[in-house]
Amino acid sequence: MIPSQLTLTQAGAAIDAAITAASDSGRIPDDADHSLLGDFIAESRESIAGAESALLSLEGNPDDLEAINTVFRAFHTVKGTAGFLGLDRLADFAHHAESLLSRVRDRELAYSQGVADLSLRASDALSQFLDAIERSALTHEIIALPTGLAALMRDLLDVDAVLLQSGTAATPAPHATIPHDVSESDATPLAVLAPIGAAAARPGMTGRAAGKPEPDLSVRVRTDRLDRLIDMVGELVIAQSMIAAETALAGAGQHELMKKVSHAGKIMRELQGLSMSMRMVPLRSTFQKLTRLVRDVALRAGKVVELVTVGDDTELDRNMVDAIADPLVHMVRNAVDHGVESPDDRARVGKPRAGRLQLEAFQQGGSVIIELRDDGRGLNRDRILAKAIEKGLITGTHSLSESEINALIFLPGFSTAEALTDISGRGVGMDVARRNVESIRGRIDIESESGKGTTFQIRLPLTLAVTDGMLVRVADERYIVPLTSISVSLRPTAEMLSTIPPHGEVVMLRGEVLPIVRLHCLFGIDGAVTDPAAAILMIVGEGEHRVALLVDQLLGQQQVVAKALGESVGEVAGISGGAILSDGRVGLIVDVAQLTLLARSGAASLRRIAHAA
Amino acid sequence: MTPVADRAAGSLGGKYLTFFLAGEEYGIAILLVQKIISSMPVTRVPRTPPFIRGVINLRGKVIPVVDLREKFGLPPAVEPEQVMIVVQVSGVQVAVVADRVSEVASISAADIDPTPDFGDGFGTELLLGLGKSNGRLRLLLDIERVLSSETATALTLTPALAPGD
Repeated sequence: MIPSQLTLTQAGAAIDAAITAASDSGRIPDDADHSLLGDFIAESRESIAGAESALLSLEGNPDDLEAINTVFRAFHTVKGTAGFLGLDRLADFAHHAESLLSRVRDRELAYSQGVADLSLRASDALSQFLDAIERSALTHEIIALPTGLAALMRDLLDVDAVLLQSGTAATPAPHATIPHDVSESDATPLAVLAPIGAAAARPGMTGRAAGKPEPDLSVRVRTDRLDRLIDMVGELVIAQSMIAAETALAGAGQHELMKKVSHAGKIMRELQGLSMSMRMVPLRSTFQKLTRLVRDVALRAGKVVELVTVGDDTELDRNMVDAIADPLVHMVRNAVDHGVESPDDRARVGKPRAGRLQLEAFQQGGSVIIELRDDGRGLNRDRILAKAIEKGLITGTHSLSESEINALIFLPGFSTAEALTDISGRGVGMDVARRNVESIRGRIDIESESGKGTTFQIRLPLTLAVTDGMLVRVADERYIVPLTSISVSLRPTAEMLSTIPPHGEVVMLRGEVLPIVRLHCLFGIDGAVTDPAAAILMIVGEGEHRVALLVDQLLGQQQVVAKALGESVGEVAGISGGAILSDGRVGLIVDVAQLTLLARSGAASLRRIAHAA
Repeated sequence: MTPVADRAAGSLGGKYLTFFLAGEEYGIAILLVQKIISSMPVTRVPRTPPFIRGVINLRGKVIPVVDLREKFGLPPAVEPEQVMIVVQVSGVQVAVVADRVSEVASISAADIDPTPDFGDGFGTELLLGLGKSNGRLRLLLDIERVLSSETATALTLTPALAPGD
């Protein structure tokens, strides 16, 4: 049933019938195959995500036929499978959404703002529908219909009226308001359209013209299985390295055997890399969601913002992709809401009316960097400072550097928006964003130039599971210090060291005075080197929390897989977890931030060395 | 299964893995024992109570090692212990060190006596009872209690331990 083929009165009756049908809720059929249902939901979500990004790209390029087809195919697939599974309400709704797109594809309708809004609403409603079905599958309750479904249905069934009302140009040419007149609209010179236009010329056939579905060359694997595989490969690599380190092998002139062992080792390390990479997913879908967000926020804030994404194929550990989504949402919202000026303001200062927001991801060494750059007004440091003092977050006597002032926006309870909007500016968000990023061992930096714009840079480790660490020795114990927290390691000369009574020790390094923290005192290790000039100082920590950590020896850099220390041990101050070292034993990973806190509490003071001696 | 309820129901009978520790023979309900491994090097974890000897790598998992000698206030081992008994209690794996494993003994409920109360809470809190079989006495551990009270002590002891050890 295609609404365009009906007369107005018929259409009205059909609309009412369709809405009545849709407004009483459905259930998942009793005979539904739940594994099929799961697959259906997962696949449909993917298609809808694809449709959404295609819809957004259509805003910039309304003639992109491939994009229209993508959306059409997505709706069509949902409709088909939903029908097969007996989810009639969903199938029915998807059908109407599909019809709208088929009219666009057939050039009966231009892809105007009105159509765009309707299509986006439809794809939202489909997502909500899927969520509701998923819930219903678990609870066996009635499928809760998405809010506003009836209204949306009405709009979809009466597209022309809606478009006329919204005042947007509904059709490419005036005469095409007569939807039957396919030949007329075909007559408009649109050479590119010819092949598909011909194939889909008959409205009744639209459902079939969905094109070939793209081959899906992936396999869904449960994450717990994947994790188990990665664990086992890790064990394998360690078992192999224990064999390779066996003195019976190395010392006995078994060259042929050694060669074979090291060959096996090479294969196993490759296997490990491969298994690790299976957890990696591209940032694409995260970025796609933001594209949508930018559009919605800009529309509501009365701004024009163009989002450019670069490097959305950059890969990140799956868990981190989930953890980074919320912080990015906050930051993008802020950038659109506070960063970019209104079109008029921009015109006044000679900038293009449309603001530009660039979201870029790339890999740099062992880190992934996500940069959000806007060309807006930049952070107003005077106002930030005034606000921070007013809110009592800092006292007025401080003299802060530019970057320190920038960092104030991460303080809890901070907001400079003069008028609170419903979008952002409630003083929550940035502090949460920073906490989230730090919880996955990442960091946010801000750079801002007044009038030119602001750049937020999120730096993340490639994966949560692997830590780049420095293996250090203290007496006969070994610890791993995360490489990211070490700035430099050195053996100090006696002149660099000073003792500050009663029990402070410091090292002077390039004019900077840093307190010395003795790891052996903090961790109660006997038999360690006590003279710093005969040991190693590692400068660890950040900013004013930097300290010099005293250890006996550096054993070398190592990538380790961080593991929790078992529940019965509980939280141990100064230790973030354990890792299996290449000899199969457990090494403990030092938590530098906690360690410096511990040291400040006086636990590692010189007094105790005197005491022990 | 809560030991208290079991005790009340008198259904303590069953199979126990028995092991020697400081000359006494102890028993752990066999259902809670996952595996017995030969002793391996333990990584000491600083700032934990003494009865947490450290952690080991059990097939890629890091699990804690509990020293019952410390827990029960027994004198330190003369010779290094030979085995570790890996138990799983409410989903958590813990290794318990033992001098050596003895046997798997079936002990019927009738052969299990309640522990006499010595006033220190040890017998009544941490033992299910005293098992008698083949003319020997086995101290049947309420391992859930032993380990859970360890968790509690571990957490409460950690801060107090900080300086001066």
